Amino acid sequence: MTDAKLLRDMFQAIAILIDEATFKLTPDNIQLRAMDPSRVAMIDFLWPKTIFDEYECDQPQKMCVNITEFLKLLRRTAKDEIIELTLNPETARLQISITGHYTRTFNMPTLEPQEEETPTPKITFKATAKTTTEGLRQAIEDAQLVSDHVRIEVDTEKLTLNATGDLMGATITLKKNSDALLDLQTQEPSKATFSLSYLAEIIKAASATSEIATLQFANDMPIQIDFHQPKEGKLTFYLAPRIEVE
Amino acid sequence: MASQNHGLVMENPTINEEIQNLIKKVLAHREFLLLIGNCWITYKGRASSQLEPGERLVVIKEDGSVLVHRPNGYEAVNWQPPGCIFRSRVEDGVLHITAIRRKPTESLSIYFNLIYLLSAMKLKDHGKFTLYASEEDMQKAILLYPSILEEGFKPISYEKKVEPGFIDVYGIDKEGKFVIVEIKRKAAGRDAVLQLSKYMQAVQSMVNREVRGILAAPDVTKGTQRLLATLGLSFKPLNPRKCAEILHKSQSLKLEDFF
Repeated sequence: MTDAKLLRDMFQAIAILIDEATFKLTPDNIQLRAMDPSRVAMIDFLWPKTIFDEYECDQPQKMCVNITEFLKLLRRTAKDEIIELTLNPETARLQISITGHYTRTFNMPTLEPQEEETPTPKITFKATAKTTTEGLRQAIEDAQLVSDHVRIEVDTEKLTLNATGDLMGATITLKKNSDALLDLQTQEPSKATFSLSYLAEIIKAASATSEIATLQFANDMPIQIDFHQPKEGKLTFYLAPRIEVE
Repeated sequence: MASQNHGLVMENPTINEEIQNLIKKVLAHREFLLLIGNCWITYKGRASSQLEPGERLVVIKEDGSVLVHRPNGYEAVNWQPPGCIFRSRVEDGVLHITAIRRKPTESLSIYFNLIYLLSAMKLKDHGKFTLYASEEDMQKAILLYPSILEEGFKPISYEKKVEPGFIDVYGIDKEGKFVIVEIKRKAAGRDAVLQLSKYMQAVQSMVNREVRGILAAPDVTKGTQRLLATLGLSFKPLNPRKCAEILHKSQSLKLEDFF
């Protein structure tokens, strides 16, 4: 593919939760759905073959790579360089060719793929909010100043982030149809509390790939965050709520 | 719960064709079968063993697992995991039951020449078993709060398969070294240390960076400390009860709770 930066950004977003990622490769797309080791957060990622300039895959297969090691190689790519990934099923090694003014070819071992399939959480969401990723990121950073967790509340008019720390508290309000909160559809006012460190890391990494995010909530249920991809593809995160201790 | 279970109970039955047919039927219907009597046993498979005649309890469970208990000791002397296929017959007054497993190929043959008690019934059991402060709790506590193991430890995965078995937790320490953690909920002995050492060797051959082994347990048995030192492994005192408390206080739900 010609957009090595997009590949790098996407893998950086994956690396937030996953260290060893098992990708599902099919003739039409490449997918990853996995939870972090503590099983609090999940990534659900899909790229159709059209993301790539060229994509060839005869039959469905799985590929497991160490994301941290892979990222080390991806960080060596400059803008507008062409990157080519080739999986050799016989040697179980992944070859990465980066071509710019010159060509370098790396190869790395793949790992034993995880066999278990991860389902997505079954939730009936009661509210949907569309935000800019930048606005969301700022709001989360504000909340992080005072606490390590945040209660997110939505009603028909606004989305509120409430953070209470040992000493300080913060309330951040995003009004409907403002520059940060582009849209808000609320069937039922909902609230749930989440770990800020997870939210911050996810949003920071994913906003490199996306300008707009759709958040879905229900009372004390996991939050679903869809990061709209400028081209095609899907990048969705789920985060389990914390148990509310009042 | 059912107030009565119309199971079968026979005391001192004569071992004849009738018993043969009964046992065949019970095994075919996957009922819970209990036998007490005089028996001898041979096992062939990964190893082989022979148990001379003696009075024992044999249990064949509904999932096809087998346990043979002697009058003393809490551990079964012979056993087979779930999924066994059974063959049975009576020959010259001896009941012969063979439990066969295909993979790995192994067979356990039980011969009864005297049966004191035979009972068979369908049992209902949907109760959930919760063990607090289990090895699993310790594992979860380490994954959620890696600092209880060591400052700067970052877990990567758990129940990771390597050649000799499964690594409880593995990750990277603050200096970037690979760390393999073996968890025991009781005082760890030589076996645990040797197991950890085997995992270390397996991982060492796969990665080209330094590998450390940590044994996390409430205590180590006498003499184990020296073995740990000899093999270059370290010990981290970790109390299972404390881990359970930490988990209890842990406030994040799991995504699995919503599948």
